Amino acid sequence: MTVASLPKKILVQTFFRSFFLQASWNFQGLQNLGFLYVVFPALRWFYRDEDLQMACARYFGKFNTHPYMASPIIGMCLALEEGKYKEAGISAQDLTEMTMSPYAAMGDALFWGGLKPLAAVLSLFFAVKGSLWAPVVFLALFNLPHLGCRLGWFWQGYRQGLDMIQIIQKWELPDLAVRLKEATIILLGSLSAYLIVHFLETENMHWGLGVLSIPLLCICVWLFKKGVSSLACVLSAAALVYLLSFMSTWI
Amino acid sequence: MILSQFCAASLVSVVAGLDRTASLQLMVCRPIVAAPVTGWLIGVPVVGLEVGLLVELLWLCFLPVGSAIPPDDTQVSIAATLLGGMGNFFGEPGSLSLVVMAVFCCCPLGKVGQIFDGWVRQFNGRLADAAHRAVAQGHLKMIGTSHLKGLFAFGLASWFSFLVIALSGAGLLYMFFVILKMGQSLEPVAGFLRILFPLVGAAAILSNLKLRRSVTLFLASFVSTLMLLWAF
Repeated sequence: MTVASLPKKILVQTFFRSFFLQASWNFQGLQNLGFLYVVFPALRWFYRDEDLQMACARYFGKFNTHPYMASPIIGMCLALEEGKYKEAGISAQDLTEMTMSPYAAMGDALFWGGLKPLAAVLSLFFAVKGSLWAPVVFLALFNLPHLGCRLGWFWQGYRQGLDMIQIIQKWELPDLAVRLKEATIILLGSLSAYLIVHFLETENMHWGLGVLSIPLLCICVWLFKKGVSSLACVLSAAALVYLLSFMSTWI
Repeated sequence: MILSQFCAASLVSVVAGLDRTASLQLMVCRPIVAAPVTGWLIGVPVVGLEVGLLVELLWLCFLPVGSAIPPDDTQVSIAATLLGGMGNFFGEPGSLSLVVMAVFCCCPLGKVGQIFDGWVRQFNGRLADAAHRAVAQGHLKMIGTSHLKGLFAFGLASWFSFLVIALSGAGLLYMFFVILKMGQSLEPVAGFLRILFPLVGAAAILSNLKLRRSVTLFLASFVSTLMLLWAF
């Protein structure tokens, strides 16, 4: 086995490949083939011939995490494969098994549950105004933090090795996710009010009628908690409004 | 003209469809991005923006966690933009009611994307098995080949989803607008339906975020914004 620091070219290649982690997502091994595809250039640098074949075979267990949170895991795996933590007795496979589920939960809450809705709600303010900057705002708000995290965590994971677990802990990602969700709810309230006022102004109706939408929103929330789908809710509400409007023209 | 618009929308459907799961995940697949981009490419950016506004919040809280596959809002928004931009064909050029109806016709078809996505993931399972066997025999090149075949399969599935949603949606829209002539009767309520989608989406987010005090925060923000907009 060759133990040597990875050249920058391979690190860049690995980071680039991490954007394709889920290309072969499957129900059996989940992201296993993708993970092997990402770390393969580094494995080829560390191992030769049969050692390389055995190293690759080790990565065919199940692997699944949040695609963005895979970056620190990949970085740490490279550090472990490099042989930096031999005395700790932890293999790259032990590390992936240990970290993939908690990191998946953190990533889902932070990026899917926190950052994505926040960026979406903010960009919708632009869309309501008819500004074509809406998609640009969304992409900038979502991608600048997420790409920064992916790059930074990958690099730190490789440089810091197992210490990266503590570094991620210090970030207090679950708390950050809660704060982002709270900000999303506040902005969502503003967006809903803005949409309603915008509509009432267009229809020359009094703004005070907007208060009537509060019980309707509460009914929707209650229906969702009872398991009604958002699509069923929107389709039935629209059909009802259309029928009422159609009947009023007859009366 | 229609063919070139269809080709442009197909291109967006593949790129955005790949972004959804298989590659990059820069969120180009979100309706607020994919729909305006499609609209811009086919010459109706405002229609794309409207579709993005309508669809964005509806399924935002369906998280692609583990093996869960959310309804394909990407292909729904691209197909709805394409149909909403074909006003001359449906006899309602540039009308809001056509855009709203296009979204209504395409939304229930979001399930199609889920089905195609599921098939690709099953197919990918066979690719992973083949790669595993190849590695055991020392054919390491199969790692990259099998993995990139998965990428191709995801791209193809995205395009097929778009095709089914766009064609079925066009059929439904033709029935409502040309045969049943619902365009005129829909016009008075189109403005209300335009805000119905994001409001139902907001309620869905509110019920899904599972935060303490979420309703309180929402109502405080809603009422204070309403008051501020009234005052200024």
